[in-house]
Amino acid sequence: MSIFELMLEYLREGKIQVDNTIHTHPAAYHDPCNYGRKSLKAFGQAFFEEGREIAKACCTDLRELNPNRNGAYCCGAGGGAWAMPFNAERVYYGRTKARQISESGAELVIAPCHNCRDQIMKSLNKEYELNVEVKYLWELVADSLIMPNKQ
Amino acid sequence: MMYEFRVSEMAEEFGVHRNTIRNWIAAGTLPAKEGPGRKYLMKFHDYQVLCEKFGREPVIHPSNHVELANIQSMEALAGQMVPMELDGHHSALAIDPSWADACLTCGTCASACPIAGVDGLDPRKIVRMAVLGMDKELVDSQWPWKCTMCGKCEESCPASIQITALMRKIRGTRDRDKVPGPIHKGVVMCLERGNNLGIPKDDFVFLCEELGEELAADCCPGFVTPVDVHGARVLVTVNSKEPFAEPDDMKWWWKIFYAAGESWTIPSENWEGVNWGLFSGDDASMKVVVGRIVDNMRRLNCKVLLLPE
Repeated sequence: MSIFELMLEYLREGKIQVDNTIHTHPAAYHDPCNYGRKSLKAFGQAFFEEGREIAKACCTDLRELNPNRNGAYCCGAGGGAWAMPFNAERVYYGRTKARQISESGAELVIAPCHNCRDQIMKSLNKEYELNVEVKYLWELVADSLIMPNKQ
Repeated sequence: MMYEFRVSEMAEEFGVHRNTIRNWIAAGTLPAKEGPGRKYLMKFHDYQVLCEKFGREPVIHPSNHVELANIQSMEALAGQMVPMELDGHHSALAIDPSWADACLTCGTCASACPIAGVDGLDPRKIVRMAVLGMDKELVDSQWPWKCTMCGKCEESCPASIQITALMRKIRGTRDRDKVPGPIHKGVVMCLERGNNLGIPKDDFVFLCEELGEELAADCCPGFVTPVDVHGARVLVTVNSKEPFAEPDDMKWWWKIFYAAGESWTIPSENWEGVNWGLFSGDDASMKVVVGRIVDNMRRLNCKVLLLPE
């Protein structure tokens, strides 16, 4: 099962409750290649709307990076590039993603992928002076959780 | 290209009466069709043939047009032409030989690629090199490793050339000790020690327990990290960079599981959820790592597998 299906299951079946008043600043959703375009090609199924549904449950101002979904641009660190010794090329690769983010006016970028999050948060953010906060999709959900009373 | 003319102009050009031109059009001698504004259209080639028939020079010479004489000399050769052989090279990388014809060399892939031009290469050139059997140059090139296999090229390709599969095959063909960065070392480490960064079992279990205690104290009363719990619904795999460098990041999912009342567990061994064989083009190692996750699913009798992303 993908992280999307599991989180959606929790949200749709009411297993978890989230508070959307914590993230009210402009947020943008990044489509990872592997969960979108490449999943569609390999398995005939992409996860485009699932991540948005989850993010919308937590954010009041969710914006799109254009182009998005099947036409989305790679963060620049996929395919193992985050670990490769070609840093200059990786930063250059990410210029389109950086431009999309700054054009969206987002102050928070939501990335459902480890590589994408690291590239945007630790590299593009500094190189292109984006001044954005970057969260994993599950980090966003965890930070928005209304914790049940247990013990 | 089409040649546009008025009947009166054509009559003057050939020194005949306007009615003669109309008769030629009606009879098909002059293969023209009526166009807008009392003008006629004919193929420029037909106009050239007409001029030649009457020994006249065409009044216009479009710069992009081929001289009739040149075409005729080529037409004469058409029956005798033999396909060109390029040193008899055959590529082990070009996945489908039909790419040589299917690829239109249109360059749409190169326009879609964010690193087209880096090292003077782009997806179109890579495909062409494969088709031409330049396997050694491709395998030696660093470009396929700078590419992130994002698939923008392939998505835009009007001929559906499998460019990302080609890129991965090029990567997989390189000698393993020449794979750039830690990717292959991580694969070897994972095969030997169960995760890409070689974290020992005891350290991992201790870390999980410690983080669980922190989470319980912080916001999840009663939380205990479920390691190797038989019969849990969800088996959770981990990106080894988290226990290695950012252990607190593991708590977000744990907090969600706690809130949802989920039945879940982390295996104490072979919990690596990042399969670097996918990136290094190493199918055999990839299969071993996947097999270990399947073993964990069976051993712990879990129903749902969660990968790190």
